[in-house]
Amino acid sequence: MFKSSKKIGVIMLLAIMVIGAILSGCSGSDKASSDGKVELTFMFRGNPQELEAYKATVKRYEEANKDVKVTMVQTAPDQYDTKLKSAIAGRKIPDVFFYNPAQVKAYVNSGVLLDITEQVEGSTDVKIDDIWEAGVNKYRFDGETLGQGAIYGLPKDLGPFALGYNKTMFEEAGIPLPDKDKPYTWDQFIDVAKQLTKDNDGDGKMDQYGTGFNVNWALQPFVWSNGADWINEEGTKVTIDDPKFIEALQFFVDQQNKYQITPSIGDAQTLDTYQRWLKGQLAFFPVGPWDMAAFKEQLKFEYDLLPWPAGSTGESSAWVGSLGIGVGATTKHAKEAAELAMYLSADQEGQQALVDAQVQLPNSVEVADTWAADTSIKPDNKQEFLDIINDYGRGFPAEKTYTAEWYDEFFKNIQPVLDGKTSVEDYVKEAQPKMQKLLDAAIEQDKQASKK
Amino acid sequence: MKATSKLYRTEQRYAYLFIAAPVLGFLIFAMVPLIYSMYGAFTNWNGLGQMEFIGFENFINLFKDEYFYKSMYNTFFMMLGIPIGIVLALLLALALNRGIFGTNTFRVLYYIPVISSIAAVSILWQWAYNGDYGLVNQFLDLIGIEGPNWLQNTDTVKPALILMAVWKGLGYTMLLYLAALQSVPKTFYEAAKLDGANAFQAFWHITLPMVKPVTFFIIVTNIIGGAQIFTEINVMTPTGGPEYSSASVVFYIWQKAFGNFQLGYASAMALVLGLFIFIITLIQFKMNEKSSFELD
Repeated sequence: MFKSSKKIGVIMLLAIMVIGAILSGCSGSDKASSDGKVELTFMFRGNPQELEAYKATVKRYEEANKDVKVTMVQTAPDQYDTKLKSAIAGRKIPDVFFYNPAQVKAYVNSGVLLDITEQVEGSTDVKIDDIWEAGVNKYRFDGETLGQGAIYGLPKDLGPFALGYNKTMFEEAGIPLPDKDKPYTWDQFIDVAKQLTKDNDGDGKMDQYGTGFNVNWALQPFVWSNGADWINEEGTKVTIDDPKFIEALQFFVDQQNKYQITPSIGDAQTLDTYQRWLKGQLAFFPVGPWDMAAFKEQLKFEYDLLPWPAGSTGESSAWVGSLGIGVGATTKHAKEAAELAMYLSADQEGQQALVDAQVQLPNSVEVADTWAADTSIKPDNKQEFLDIINDYGRGFPAEKTYTAEWYDEFFKNIQPVLDGKTSVEDYVKEAQPKMQKLLDAAIEQDKQASKK
Repeated sequence: MKATSKLYRTEQRYAYLFIAAPVLGFLIFAMVPLIYSMYGAFTNWNGLGQMEFIGFENFINLFKDEYFYKSMYNTFFMMLGIPIGIVLALLLALALNRGIFGTNTFRVLYYIPVISSIAAVSILWQWAYNGDYGLVNQFLDLIGIEGPNWLQNTDTVKPALILMAVWKGLGYTMLLYLAALQSVPKTFYEAAKLDGANAFQAFWHITLPMVKPVTFFIIVTNIIGGAQIFTEINVMTPTGGPEYSSASVVFYIWQKAFGNFQLGYASAMALVLGLFIFIITLIQFKMNEKSSFELD
C-alpha cells in the first residue's frame, strides 16, 4: 500500500515537473541604481560585428553623459524575440530596446512603448529631418493608422535589399554590364542569366549559374513590380489569387524549372546559394547593407548593385527592412532613455562608427549621400540602396497587420510549388483561404487588444 | 541515537533548511508559472497585458488546428528514435562490458555528445546534413550514393533529426546500461552455464530481466524528453522544416507564444501536451507494475 502511494507521489511529481518544464519562462532583470546615477537597460541584438560597434557607441554615450550608466543586455538574433517578449510578459520592459516595426501596433496598444515625439522633436542634438523620413514613419502610429502621428521609436537602421551582380563574371563572359538606371525586363533578365549559366570545364555539370533566389526573401520584388501584393491596401484581404500575383510566382518558379538558370531542385536553401555566391558561382544575388563587411573580406571578385528586374509595371521594386529603437513605457527615466535612443539612431559620431564597421547604412540623409559617393567603399553603386529607400522600396506585407502568421503561412507549404510538383494556380487557391482565416484572426486579435 | 537529543533536533532543523532550498525553488520557478499558465490557457492572453477569460475557446480551436495535429504527429514520429537508441546502447554496453581493449576510450567517445551543448551540436549536424557540402553526403558519395538535401526534404528531415537524437543520447543510455550490467550477480550466469544455457538464453533470461528497471527508466525519461524536443528543431530548421514537417509541438507552442502574441492559446497547447505525457507515463507505470517481479 505504502509502495503504491509512493509511486503515485512519484508520478505526480513527474507530471508536475514535465508541465512545469514546458510552461516556465524566464524574465529579465531590473537593476536599481546604487550610486545616484541614472541606470538604463539597453537590450539589443546583432551579429558579432554589430554588437561590437553598438557597445562602442554606448560607451561613448556614457562618456559624454557621466550621470548615466547603461546596462547592456545583448543576445544572438535568433533568441532576441523570445527574450524581449518574456521580459514584456513579465512587465520588465527594458528602458531602451530594439524591436521590429511590425510590432509597433501591438506594442503601442498594450502600453509597451513610450511616445517619444516630444523628446525627438524638441531635441537640439538630433534633427528629425536629418533621419530618413521613410525610416521614422515606420515607427509612427496615431492609434488608427501606421506611418502617421506620434513617434514610438527611431530606426536603428534601414535595410534596403538590393540586387547585386558578379561584375567579374560578366566581364569574363563579355556581356555588357547592367545599366544602373534602367532595370532589366524579366525577359532580358532570363536571357542574361541563361548566358551566364555555364559548364566551364566540360564535365557535364554546371559550374556557374544565373542566380539562386530564396523564396522567403526574393519573391517580393517580383510580385510587387508586377503590380500585385500579398494583401490589399486596407490590410483586410489576402490577394495572392490575383492573376498578376500568380504570374509573378510562376516566373519565380520558372527560373528553376523552366529556364534552369539556378542550381537544381532542392538546393534553394539560402545557405547553399549564399555559399555559391561567395564562391563566385552566381551571376546575380541579393545584397543588403549588412553583407558589405563580409563581402569585402570574402569575395574574390568584383561586385556591384543593379535595380531589380521590372515586371509588367515597368518599375523595379524591393523591400526595406528596419529595426527600431524604442523606449519602454515603464521606464523611470524617460528623458535619458529617449536621449540614448536618439544617440544610437542619429548621433553623427555614433553613426559614423557604425557605418565604418560596414554593418549598416547611415541613418542620416546627409551622411548617406557622402557615403554613397565615396568610391573607396565597395560596391560602387551604393546609390541603389538609397534609391530603394527613397523611391521604390516597401515594407514587408505583414508590417501593417497585428501578427505575421498569415504571411508566414504562405511560405510554409511552398516547397512543392518551387519543385514544380504543385501548380502555382492550385497552390494559391489552396493557400488563400487558409491565409485569410489567419488574417481574420489577427484582425480580431488586434480589435481585442485595442479595446481597453 | 535518541530522537530527542539536542544535536538531533538541531540537525533536523538544518535538514529542513536544506530541503527548503529546492522545494522553494520548485514552488517559485515551476509551480507558480505552472498554475499561472494553466489559468492562461483559458484566456486570450497575448503576453503584452491583455488577459480575458474565454473559457474553453482555446481548446475548441486547438482541436480544429491542423498544425497542432501535424506537430503532434511529428513529435511522436521522432520518438521512433527511442527504441533504436535503446537497442544500440544495450548492444554497445554489452560489448564494452566484456572488457575489450580501449573500453575507457570508447566510453569517453560515446559520452562526448551527451555533455556537448545541444545548440552547438545542432549547428554541427546542420552542416553535416548540408546537401552540397555536408559530411553525410560526401560520405555517401564515396560509396556511390547521391544523398538528398536532408533538412530540406519532407521525407528525410525527420529521419535526419532522429539519427542525430540517437547519436546524442547514445552515450548516456549506454552508461546507464553499463552500470546495470555490472550489477548483475555473476553467480546467475555461472548457475545458468551449469544448467546448460547458451549465451543467448543467458542474455534473454538473465541479462534482460535484470536491466529491466533501467530500461523502464530510460523509456520514461526519453518519452518525456522526446515530447519536448525543441532546440535542435529551432536551430536546424528555423521555419519548422519543409511544409512544417519537422515542427514539434513545443516548437509550435513557442511560435504561437513568442511569434504571434498568442500566449493563451500556447498555454492551452502546453497543457494538452502535459496531460498527454502524464497519461502515457501513467500507462507505462501500470504496465511496468504488471510485468515486474521481485528478487528474494
